[in-house]
Amino acid sequence: MNSRPVLKIENLRTFFYSKGKRAFVRSVDGVNLRIGKGETLGIVGESGSGKSVTALSIMGLVPGEPGVIIGKIGLKTDNIQKNLLQDLRDYVKINMSTGRIMEVYKDNVGWQKNVDRVMQGIRGTEIAMIFQNPKLALNPFIPIGKQITESIRINTPIKKRSQARERAMYWLAKVKMDSPRLRYYNNPYGLSGGMCQRAMIAMALSSDPSLLIADEPTTGLDATIQSKIVDLLADLKSSVGVTTMLISHDINVIKALSDNVAVMYGGTLLEHGPVGIILSAEHQAKHPYTAALLESIPREKHIREKGYLQAIKGDVLDTINIPLGCRFYSRCDKVTEKIQEKCDNHEPDLREISSGHSLRCWLYYE
Amino acid sequence: MKLSAIRPIALLLARELAITALLILGVSFVVFIIIYLSPGDPFGTLLKGQTTLPNAPENIRGALGTPPAWYAQYLSWLVNMVQGDFGTSTRTGLPVLNEVIRVGINTLYLTIGSMMVTLLIAVPVALFAARRGQTPVNWVLTMLAYVLSALPVFWLGYIAIYISMHHFGLFPLAFASSAQKWSWLYFMFPVLVLGLSNGTTSEVVRFLREEMSRVFSEDYIRTARAKGASIWKHSFKEGFLIPITEIIASKIPFILGGAVVVEQVFNWPGMGRMAWQAAQDRDFPLIMGITLLAAVFVRMGSLLQRFVHILVNPRASKE
Amino acid sequence: MKRYSQYTIEVGDLWDVSFWKKADTMDLIYIVYGLFIVILVVVSYVLGALSLLPHNPQEINLELLMAPPNTAGHLLGTDFMGRDILSRLIIGIQAYFLPGLLAIAIALTAGTIFGVLAGYWGGGLDTTTTYISNLLNSFPRLVLILLMVAAFKPDIYTIMLVVGVTNIPAVASLIRSKILFLKQKNFIEAAMALGLKSWVIIFKHILWHNCRAILIIQATLGMAEAILMETSLSYLGFGVQEPTPSWGNMVQAGANYFMQGNFWPSTAPALAILFTILGFHLLGDGLNNILEGKRG
Repeated sequence: MNSRPVLKIENLRTFFYSKGKRAFVRSVDGVNLRIGKGETLGIVGESGSGKSVTALSIMGLVPGEPGVIIGKIGLKTDNIQKNLLQDLRDYVKINMSTGRIMEVYKDNVGWQKNVDRVMQGIRGTEIAMIFQNPKLALNPFIPIGKQITESIRINTPIKKRSQARERAMYWLAKVKMDSPRLRYYNNPYGLSGGMCQRAMIAMALSSDPSLLIADEPTTGLDATIQSKIVDLLADLKSSVGVTTMLISHDINVIKALSDNVAVMYGGTLLEHGPVGIILSAEHQAKHPYTAALLESIPREKHIREKGYLQAIKGDVLDTINIPLGCRFYSRCDKVTEKIQEKCDNHEPDLREISSGHSLRCWLYYE
Repeated sequence: MKLSAIRPIALLLARELAITALLILGVSFVVFIIIYLSPGDPFGTLLKGQTTLPNAPENIRGALGTPPAWYAQYLSWLVNMVQGDFGTSTRTGLPVLNEVIRVGINTLYLTIGSMMVTLLIAVPVALFAARRGQTPVNWVLTMLAYVLSALPVFWLGYIAIYISMHHFGLFPLAFASSAQKWSWLYFMFPVLVLGLSNGTTSEVVRFLREEMSRVFSEDYIRTARAKGASIWKHSFKEGFLIPITEIIASKIPFILGGAVVVEQVFNWPGMGRMAWQAAQDRDFPLIMGITLLAAVFVRMGSLLQRFVHILVNPRASKE
Repeated sequence: MKRYSQYTIEVGDLWDVSFWKKADTMDLIYIVYGLFIVILVVVSYVLGALSLLPHNPQEINLELLMAPPNTAGHLLGTDFMGRDILSRLIIGIQAYFLPGLLAIAIALTAGTIFGVLAGYWGGGLDTTTTYISNLLNSFPRLVLILLMVAAFKPDIYTIMLVVGVTNIPAVASLIRSKILFLKQKNFIEAAMALGLKSWVIIFKHILWHNCRAILIIQATLGMAEAILMETSLSYLGFGVQEPTPSWGNMVQAGANYFMQGNFWPSTAPALAILFTILGFHLLGDGLNNILEGKRG
């Protein structure tokens, strides 16, 4: 956190309107994040905790349904300094004194157009993204090499087709694609998931972005391929050194690749700090949710001792009816009688308890 | 495309050709069976009034020998057709093949022209709707497409003729005489009328819009947006090219059917009008030839669609 | 115990979207209009069958030729022989109503059977059904009917039988793809794993619970198709013959006077065709959007 931040998210809220329930689903509800230059920030959490929606909000790719995005996403790179949500205020009317959202315009297409305008020259060029399910995320009708070439010609100064092709070959080799000159002409349909993900990574990195968002890069792949992709990402981290926001529900992936970790739950951050503090089993002072997450990793020792796999009790938070108190209260097993009243009624704020380590729990507040 | 990929695709194309040939054979069989089962006795009709002797027909039949079995008749008909002999029209005595090809070309103009008109209306509406969702303009255009699809084509034809008569001084009898000042309009009106109200406009709009919006929500379009590329470029093949060939191929029969009526309204010397005439005269060789040619048109459209599908879609080779 | 955090958003009056953006409302309007047309057609059919008409449809009145609407008790005016247009329109429904139902019945029954054969058992049956469908689809419907006319001089019921038969592939392919979709969702395997008999799965779980919407939609579209075919044939002179009225031959008979500027006798049945077919189309599409969950 010492270097200046490339990305600074302040109080990001992304809500979707659920027609069936006539209420807002608050997928992301007040997230604050900073990603320093060159660092890798891992975001971990269960499914439905708002990790992916945070990433999509940054890219302005939040899908379909009319909703709300407010807050501030500050991007500061060598070329550009911009609040990515700058001109989008007009689509939400907020009562400034209470912070209540009074009105949302459901002009989804107009909103999308506006986002496209704001994000022009940022998508691909400054922020690149790797998606989950690489086979679906690559255009099945175009050979992978051509897709990379296209990205290079759009997002880098290389405009000549032949040069761009050479560059794409270089990146395909860089992501350790076997026989890149042949694979260049293959459609995603003929490739395995791992190869598609390599192509996806090559495509993201080929435009030399200031920030790389990897949204569950190993999800949907076989276990052996997963570890190979993790190895590749670790390799690229040392050789290319791009600032990365890594999203995964797999703690081992996060542990292997990130410098800092943010733990998300119910649309908000519960804990944020260096990977050594948060994800190491030895360090004691941590959020009960993080502790429970670590407990739920299957380990030989645990299985032998308890004879079963430990899971976190209860279900993921219903993000429509968010409780008044701590979001994890109903599933927390570390509530003491002293703080029970507070946990139930007041949401704790994100407080720094030691250098660079902040969390959201009444246990650690004096 | 690498060389190794070409061979399986060539095989697939050959397979489609074979299927088309098989289907056309099947069509010829169905046509033959319908005519074979027809209750009338063309022979008896021919002899009617020729002789007053009570047993003359039987005698003549006996002299001519018993007719061959149905499969022999079918085979000889088929062999003749393969050799280019579709028989002669019982009404005019002209060879069917020449007649049918002559009018078939006229119908082809009409069909292709009206398909263009339909697409010119439907495609912009559909693409606009797929990208923009519902807007008032769009709603009006969609309703218009519905109304056009429900309009009786013959009535719209009358309006067109009325306009051409009263505003341009044209008369429907004058197809061949191109000396009139506005005569090109007379070629345009049938095409326009059939294109507007062949009943497929709303379906084209609907199908294209649904396919395009489905493709817009695919993961790979999101990837395209994430790298700053044009979503139109990336959705073109799956969202536009494949659906449009599909809908064109599947609507050719409807347009040919509509052509029968439009040709009747406008005295357009095409297949439909000839089929109408042949049905009235029970001119079997002619109507058989026309039905076969119409089916060949339909099959050619489908073949083209399959070719596009195979060439464009890498997944088709795995199906 | 319902206590929620701050930023609880009032959404009661947020959803005031202009009506054309609300797919649901539009679909409901389509359906209401379509149902109105269906009821109108059925009621008119019954009225016609019971001969409860405002005037005798065959009564010629040479005093009152081609009267505009609403003259001398003729609500929709009179045609070129002074016959009451409204009565003729009502009686004209007789020409297509029962034959149309026949066409629908054939298309739905046979289409369902073929669709289930192809989708549920698949394999060789699927291939065969596909070929038969392609074969039937190769004929432009009207041309095939003209061939039948030449061969058999058929009545309207036989013609509608052909219409029904040529509609089979469309229904069959819809049922087939629905079953394949269910198979993809492992729905059928699950039912089999529960030990259900094939016929229970097919009739109860596939056809009744998953395909009835498709069948209803196809029935409305089939009726539109039948009307279109009947009017086209009557127009061509192969359907119902004068003086028995049908919408198609009414348009055709009025055509000569149309050219002289007397639009109404030809336009009235044309509008009847337009509004009726529009009603059936909109009903089918509205039902499709709501029941099959396709958003426009």
